[in-house]
Amino acid sequence: MRTICKLISVSLVSLLFSFSLANASSGVFKLSHDLGFGKDTNLDAISKGRLFQVVIMTQNRLVRKDLKGVTSAELATDWSANADATEWTFNLRKGVKFHDGSDFDAEDVKYSLMRVKDPDIGSPAKKSMSSVTDIEVVDSHTVKMKLNTSFADFPLLLTDYRLRMIPSGSGDTIGKTGVGTGPFIVDKFDPEGTTILKANPDYWEGAPGLAEVHVIAIPDGEARVQALLTGQIHMNRYVPFSQKKIFDGNSKFNVSVVPTGNWRGMVMRTDTAPFDNPKVRKAVRLAVDRQELVDLVMGGAATVACDTPVAPSDQYRLKMKCPQNINKAKSLLKEAGYPNGIDMVIHVSTKEPTWPTIAEVLQQQLAKANIKAEVKMTPSKSYWKETWMKKPVAMTRWNERPADSALHEIYHSGAKWNESFFKNPAFDENLAKARGELDFNKRKKAYQNAQKTLWEESGTMIPYHVSKLVVTSSNVKNLDEVEVFSVRWHKVKMK
Amino acid sequence: MTLEKEQKKNNLQKIFEVIKTMASKPSGLIGLSILLFHVILAITSPLYVPYDYKAIDPSLMLQAPSSEYWFGTDSLGRDVFTRTILGGRTALTVTFFGSLIALVWGGALGIFCGLVGGKIDDVVMRIIDAFLSIPWILAMLLIVSLLGTTTLVLIPALGFFYGKGIVRVARAATHDVIAKDFIVSAKARGHSNLSIIWNEILPNVRDAIMVEGAMRWSWMLLGFSSLSFLGFGVSPPTPDWGLMISNARGLMSFAYWAVLAPIFGLSSLIIGINLTADAFAKALGIDRSTKAPV
Repeated sequence: MRTICKLISVSLVSLLFSFSLANASSGVFKLSHDLGFGKDTNLDAISKGRLFQVVIMTQNRLVRKDLKGVTSAELATDWSANADATEWTFNLRKGVKFHDGSDFDAEDVKYSLMRVKDPDIGSPAKKSMSSVTDIEVVDSHTVKMKLNTSFADFPLLLTDYRLRMIPSGSGDTIGKTGVGTGPFIVDKFDPEGTTILKANPDYWEGAPGLAEVHVIAIPDGEARVQALLTGQIHMNRYVPFSQKKIFDGNSKFNVSVVPTGNWRGMVMRTDTAPFDNPKVRKAVRLAVDRQELVDLVMGGAATVACDTPVAPSDQYRLKMKCPQNINKAKSLLKEAGYPNGIDMVIHVSTKEPTWPTIAEVLQQQLAKANIKAEVKMTPSKSYWKETWMKKPVAMTRWNERPADSALHEIYHSGAKWNESFFKNPAFDENLAKARGELDFNKRKKAYQNAQKTLWEESGTMIPYHVSKLVVTSSNVKNLDEVEVFSVRWHKVKMK
Repeated sequence: MTLEKEQKKNNLQKIFEVIKTMASKPSGLIGLSILLFHVILAITSPLYVPYDYKAIDPSLMLQAPSSEYWFGTDSLGRDVFTRTILGGRTALTVTFFGSLIALVWGGALGIFCGLVGGKIDDVVMRIIDAFLSIPWILAMLLIVSLLGTTTLVLIPALGFFYGKGIVRVARAATHDVIAKDFIVSAKARGHSNLSIIWNEILPNVRDAIMVEGAMRWSWMLLGFSSLSFLGFGVSPPTPDWGLMISNARGLMSFAYWAVLAPIFGLSSLIIGINLTADAFAKALGIDRSTKAPV
């Protein structure tokens, strides 16, 4: 009898032990970043040099998008608005702790969001918060946000990947510490080498499945693909579609195609001749065969865009067709005073692996409308600092944003990242009108009118929104097949 | 027959003899044949390429080699055979003229320094040393970033960077002959430095400099292709081996033809130039390892 009792006890202990092991964080997940901001790279989500690959794992937002793209609760549990949608009340999650041990509360929300508006910080996310005039701390876990206009879609703005919650007063150190409430804690921050994150055992959604995450700086796109092939990293979300065949049918990798609102494009500075003439810009846009670009560069895995940054799945997206029209392009150039066409230099780098190919295809397409394009390679490490927003024509890429954020950040006359230096009062007016409009249909019309203006006059040619080819090592488990900002990182495991 | 005509006839005879000697050995014959093949291809290929080198076509992406597309097609549906046989034109042109520039300025400065010696020689050689310590690829990247990647920029820039080594060789060869009696006699006769260089030194150091120049040509070809590989050589859509290798390297595991063809073109030309330079040195009686007459 005693032996049986002993056996049962040992079995129970073993069972409990194995159960606890199964739930413990284990394994090291390695991914890369492109060191896009060089030495300015930091962990302050609202700064220009934010290393988002780390920030999305260490810090939470109030509101996020769920796996279907619908706004859902993160650190806010629920929210409501007053009758004219100028005041929004958010109830906050209780019992959540920051990595430094402090409690998350309403003061942190006020601090985190109001510093986005601080002119001294000069955050590129400032436009997303421009309608917020004040944040009132109602109690320790309730905040009331006051807006200067009616804004029926305000919670959607808070899903912006940069609007993360940090401890009150930590603005001076957050760039290096990255302290947040997320599933991983920054153990070592080395932007030019390997940044190491450790599991946060007290994460409010449950302990992460991974023990560590290593975020490695690999500036070159080709090198990142090679790193994945050789097992140096476990995930690459920027594999060009032309290289899909390398991974297809290889049991060492999982390949998934994720539709996104991310896009690549070519920027013409609207303050620089000949692109200061809207007819020239329209001519360039009309000379582009977007479907051919989708087929050649993306192997068909993208959605054609008519120069709108609004994601294909977004409710405010303007649906239109924009086929190549060489005759119209030529006649516009003639009207603009360039009957013999124009010369231009498209600046590219391997920062984004598809840029050189896009430029090479554009070169051939534009030539049909007497637009002679030269493709010029520039160093990838300094691309954002020395080429983008500096040269008259340069390639660009943007991640998905809600319609309002995308339109404000890239085209509003006062936006910090207005890369084409686009200034159009009618466009700005439509954005303002949309934000203040409570009627959905009217709001939608205003956003779509703004997108029509972009098609007619903008300086950014957006041929498509990419479907992302996400390749992971086959030992990575539970990775949601959604855009990177909606992934529930605490669920990811290594087999 | 005047003395001048006889001199020309002798020179021609000497050239034929050198070529004959070079071709008398298998390695020399192979090298000359490869080089000649590439030169003829570079000059005549635009006359008979089967397709437009820049015509893109989504329906023809990454086609395997076939009777229609001998070397297959690349990721933009362009014919790889067309682009490969045209791919050596720019490389050969840029590096041939670049080598000539390197030969002229490097040889002239080396002989001058070797002849005048003293402080001028010291200062010039230290400057050359300083330039030699700068990695050429970094300096080239700086130049093409500032001035662009046209052939008018690439030829003089490559000519400058590859001429530094020739300065040293020419100077050393000049030192070998400068103490000879005929130089001393020329000086005693009151000949100018220019006259001594042209009539006395050059005929005696010419062979060593030319062999060095031939070697620099193959290195320059490799260097130029490296620049193209990094995207800083010729601009697309101009077919160029380095650029083709760079564009197709990511597809190697499933579209090997797009990368193998330009690799074969580039490596065969480099081998051809190297074998020719070797045979050239031997035909002139120069040991390439020491640059000394054998």
